[in-house]
Amino acid sequence: MSFLEIFQYTRQDSIIHRLDPRSKLFLTLVCAIISLLFLDIIPLLIIFASLLPLLAAAKSLRRWAKSMKGLLVLLVFIMVFNTLLSTGPYPFSYSVSLTLRLVALMTSFSLFFLTVHPDELSQALIQMRVRFEFAFAMSMAMRYVPTLGHEAYAIMDAQRSRGVELDKGNFVQRVRNIIPIIVPLIIVSIRRALSIAESMESRGFGASENRTYMERLQFRRRDWSLVIVSLGVLVTVLYLRFIVGLPDLFLWNIGF
Amino acid sequence: MALVKFDDFSYKYYGADSLALKKINLTIDNGEYVVITGPSGCGKTTLCRAINGLVPRFHRGYIAGHVYVDEKDTREHEVAHFAAIAGLVFQNPENQLVTLNVEKEIAFGPENLGVNPVEVRRRVEEIIDLLDLEHLRDKHPHEMSGGEQQRVAMAATLALNPQILVADEPTSNLDPKSAEKILEIISTLNKRGMTVVLVEHRLDLVAKEATRVVLMDRGRIVADGTPTEVLVADICQDIGVGIPKATEIYKRLNAKGLRLGSVPLTGEELALLIQEGTV
Repeated sequence: MSFLEIFQYTRQDSIIHRLDPRSKLFLTLVCAIISLLFLDIIPLLIIFASLLPLLAAAKSLRRWAKSMKGLLVLLVFIMVFNTLLSTGPYPFSYSVSLTLRLVALMTSFSLFFLTVHPDELSQALIQMRVRFEFAFAMSMAMRYVPTLGHEAYAIMDAQRSRGVELDKGNFVQRVRNIIPIIVPLIIVSIRRALSIAESMESRGFGASENRTYMERLQFRRRDWSLVIVSLGVLVTVLYLRFIVGLPDLFLWNIGF
Repeated sequence: MALVKFDDFSYKYYGADSLALKKINLTIDNGEYVVITGPSGCGKTTLCRAINGLVPRFHRGYIAGHVYVDEKDTREHEVAHFAAIAGLVFQNPENQLVTLNVEKEIAFGPENLGVNPVEVRRRVEEIIDLLDLEHLRDKHPHEMSGGEQQRVAMAATLALNPQILVADEPTSNLDPKSAEKILEIISTLNKRGMTVVLVEHRLDLVAKEATRVVLMDRGRIVADGTPTEVLVADICQDIGVGIPKATEIYKRLNAKGLRLGSVPLTGEELALLIQEGTV
């Protein structure tokens, strides 16, 4: 699952990491919208090329490249199938641009998720007027994913040592083998949830209407400038795309 | 009036067959260090839960009698009301850490109660300093050992500035060294004036520091007194409580007619007594 790492926060100290999550979200959305505006190879390549320096600024190029390698199979798959099934005049060219668009979209979003700590994300949501309970549920889900993983492995080991052969048999058999893992896992999780709730209750969770926050996110000058620059880029691109129209050079395609 | 007062308190969990607590009468005063011990299922955990109102507020059940904490009836106030009076530390540290780093964890309680952010920051720094957590500040719960997790859990409870710390077997999932460290912290807190209620099986580690030992069995308090009084009583062996080795030696010598001057709780005390005896 290494390709999922492209959406996983990495602890770093970079200009991008230090930005406010809200301004980064804006940047990501602008990048995503721009990628969705085009379906030609040259403009998408330009978008892609301009995303790379941003990733480099976030000191995350290597990680990005690693997960992209994991994604290569999927990308080739998409390309082949689109070429075979597409009904357009230039199927290969079309599927190359589709793939490029997907990569550009993923890169834009990974720019956000690679550099925003889950805590910052939930704080950003709270300050965007999402209810604390929902934002906190999200950050707690992230907190307990690894715990649940450990538990699943422990249960698998326990069942194996009692003679359950988890990796044997045909597909149906393997699906059935999930049952002796999933049932204990659910029961254990419910118990754990009760115990967590007890601890949170003891520490006054949900007690005060006016919950305070030790650290609040602050929009600084750099965040405002990022938002203004992204907005400017978006408006320019929209103008070029819809009012001026792209020059023929940009509409070049591979030709088959 | 006492800080905690159980007044003929009985409790049965919803759906359970027998009473978890039977007619408990117990008062705990300011500054005491009370160790509660007894076989599993004897009601120790329920007793702890009753101190901050989790019983009967969080766990549904049948109730008789009253518990007064800081002169307030736990029947009439929310758990959150007692959060700043009685802080609970539970057995499993992993289930007490709900945020993604240590600072946030410590701030979680005071934030919930709406404490001013400046004050929250001050408390966080104070407690990080007090419990020596500086190197863990930015760590995810998963990057810490069990002992470190439990220390953070305790820090998170202390951030509420409770008057009384209730710890329900905080060391049972830990290795001996981390356990010792946790117990050391608890005893230091007690020396600084905090009232402590500790559920613990390893009496040899806590008997010396405790001011009082409460022995429970099947929902009742069967012995209550200073460590030396309770631990020499025969009832300890009857219900299977592991008394400190030094105390056991004292009792066996006593049975053979060899009387030592006082009851030793640790090996050191025993050695001293024997030294005095032979000189």
